[in-house]
Amino acid sequence: MKRRDFIKASAIGAIGVNLLPLSLHQSNRLKAQTTAPDVVWVENGEPEALFKSAMKELGGINKFISKGDVVVIKPNIGWAKTPEFAATTNPDLVAEIVKQCKEAGAKEVKVFDHTCNPWQRCYNLSGIEEKAGASGAKLTQTYDHKYTNLAINGQHIKEWPIYKDYLEADKVINVPIAKHHGLDRVTLGLKNLMGVMGGRRGSLHNNFGNKMADINSKLIPTLTIIDAYRILTANGPTGGNLSDVKLTKTLIASSCTVSADYVALDLFGHKLHQIQHISIANERGLNKFDLTKLNVKKVKLA
Amino acid sequence: MVKARKISQIFFILFFIFLFIRARYPYEVRIQSDLFLRFSPLMPLFDFIDTLRIDLIFWPALLILLFTPFLGRFFCGWICPLGTTLDAGSKIVKSPSNRKTEKWHKLTYLKFAILFGSIILAVFSLHVWGYFDPLSIFNRALTVVFYPLATLFADHILIGITKIPFLEDPAYAVYDFFKTSVMPENQANYQQLFWIALFIAAILGAEKITRRFWCRYLCPAGALLGFLSQFRFYERIVGEECPSCNLCQKECKMNAIPEGDVKKTSKVECIECFNCGAVCPTKYNAITYRWRWKPYHTPIDYNRRQFLTTTAGSVAAIGLLNIGLKDRKAEAKLIRPPGALPEDDFMDRCIRCLQCVRICESNGGCLQPDQIHNNIMELWLPVAVMREGYCAYDCNLCGQVCPTDAILPLELAQKKKTPMGLAHFDKNLCIPYARNEDCIVCEEHCPTPDKAIKFEVKDFMAPDGSVRKVKYPYVIKDLCIGCGICETKCPIAGQAGIFVTPENQKRLTKDEVGVIRENPNETYSSPY
Repeated sequence: MKRRDFIKASAIGAIGVNLLPLSLHQSNRLKAQTTAPDVVWVENGEPEALFKSAMKELGGINKFISKGDVVVIKPNIGWAKTPEFAATTNPDLVAEIVKQCKEAGAKEVKVFDHTCNPWQRCYNLSGIEEKAGASGAKLTQTYDHKYTNLAINGQHIKEWPIYKDYLEADKVINVPIAKHHGLDRVTLGLKNLMGVMGGRRGSLHNNFGNKMADINSKLIPTLTIIDAYRILTANGPTGGNLSDVKLTKTLIASSCTVSADYVALDLFGHKLHQIQHISIANERGLNKFDLTKLNVKKVKLA
Repeated sequence: MVKARKISQIFFILFFIFLFIRARYPYEVRIQSDLFLRFSPLMPLFDFIDTLRIDLIFWPALLILLFTPFLGRFFCGWICPLGTTLDAGSKIVKSPSNRKTEKWHKLTYLKFAILFGSIILAVFSLHVWGYFDPLSIFNRALTVVFYPLATLFADHILIGITKIPFLEDPAYAVYDFFKTSVMPENQANYQQLFWIALFIAAILGAEKITRRFWCRYLCPAGALLGFLSQFRFYERIVGEECPSCNLCQKECKMNAIPEGDVKKTSKVECIECFNCGAVCPTKYNAITYRWRWKPYHTPIDYNRRQFLTTTAGSVAAIGLLNIGLKDRKAEAKLIRPPGALPEDDFMDRCIRCLQCVRICESNGGCLQPDQIHNNIMELWLPVAVMREGYCAYDCNLCGQVCPTDAILPLELAQKKKTPMGLAHFDKNLCIPYARNEDCIVCEEHCPTPDKAIKFEVKDFMAPDGSVRKVKYPYVIKDLCIGCGICETKCPIAGQAGIFVTPENQKRLTKDEVGVIRENPNETYSSPY
């Protein structure tokens, strides 16, 4: 090799080596600009504004809901409590989600929950019946005859009755409210899907984390919107004491339930290892994104 | 007149059924659904015996009692829904004519014996009349038998139709309308169904023996109204042109026309159905109805011997009802609705109409017709069966619909602080204690703002040497209101690991509730 050639090659090589990370970095930045974040955290706004902003960050509702879809929205309507007690999902948020789904061309938007208290009182007191109904959602109680056994073939659950409308829906939006829960400190997106399960649900509390992971692996929703407009910090999940309610005016949205739940732990100051059912779901691969490299976009509304 | 009577009967039975159906959450009605129970003529009488006051809350019954001496038993013929049901039933089973049933007629005294016996018992504070009150029977049968049957059939038929492919959508539309507007409840399942069904089946089935068997021979309300209408001013007049064809005698629902002398009418028995006038052949048209200011008198069919026998029997019954074993263990199940009067008063005031059971939010879960534990008088009182359903924290409807205030109408805030009992863990069954594994479903559902079930986290060392943390629940007596949701939701199959007993239950009197209502701020301010 001639000296000139060597110098040339070295120079090119040196430049190349120097440029390589730069170009990699460049390409990463380019990607960040075109793809949506994994999780969006929006705060300081009313429920409608929070949801609108979150959808904008995630690329718009049309990215998730197509024309003619049958959409199931699964809020937490489990308890006969008014919204200020933060035991049930914010009715304005549910109404806004229904509205946007309708605008995106959804054929039908169904809203239901397998309630813990008598369903009429829950639907009524939570305000969801009135507000989501006004936005065009179809609200029905969960009928016993509509639970069908779904093959789970998990580690602990072989099959479990799941609500038919949920399984038959084209798209599913899981809308839990962030609450304290005695069993595993919090109840968020994963636990909220107990509201589409039938059978003897109480028995799921035993070895809860693994059973949740088993069943949830078959129920992955399209979107998870965590309502943290008000959160319940103690005496959950029923609440009833206004001093346990914190006005946080936040919303967390993601196409991955585990990631959304993980990010929502910040609301309570918990760490992932403290929450068994979320860590087990993560270990067992229910997460769409790597929690250690999660791309969270935080938005603070004016 | 027959047409008017039929319209009235249909109107009242539909009105009563309408009120019955409206008796559910959300109970936002202008007409109190227990209004129709307060049509019972027996209610003011026995309320008077109990309280020595005439309560105007029973105004429909008071109106009926006021008009009966003038008009006679128009209530039985024109209003009573049980009577209307029996009339319909007699068409179905084809009751025999009065000619063939003369032998039963000697039983007419029985209804007076039942009425008079009930009065004697009531004077000694044993109110059994509710079991025989026609409106109570009607409501009891609707609640436990007919309405659950209707929901069962409606549900299954509509769901069955949805299985037919091309009918699926319209069938579901009808079903949804049905389940949101007409019968939004889930299927109710009641204990004591067999006996209550047998009771109503016997009353209806007796139509095969004679028409209006119940009204002729057994109904204490009919007896009271008959007693009052001995001199009634509105009379059936049979003209001279009557050829004694006996058509009216055969047609009479109550056998109030004596076979030998069709020109007479028993004012005690006649319920003014006006069928006699309708069957009278048109060429004679001998029967007219008219006011007369000097009415004749029909004595009641109840002689001194029968009177003395009833008295002796009643006194014996009072004694017998008081000498049975009072097993305290059996009292463990006597959990009454929130706001129920103290047990003895409660038994006296409750007429076993089961309107509270009907409106209970659990709908066939929590409130049930009670069985006999220690005392026959416990039969069909409302009892909370917590394993099947719980007392909803935000519901106070049972007290709102009680026609006699046996369950006091508590304000919601007060109801939430009136314990029905106390929850106890059965540590041999409860999963954390028995198996050292987490569960705490009870804690999750506990509805008090500061949870009455709390848990303690303790390390448990498994046989393999590994240590895990387990949550062991316990009850805080001062916070527990005995609503029983923990017992309902306990995930163990069969017997629950937590159960409610009447320990710590608070029974209120009318005076106490009155005082609380006058000082709402003092008592309603939440300590939480």
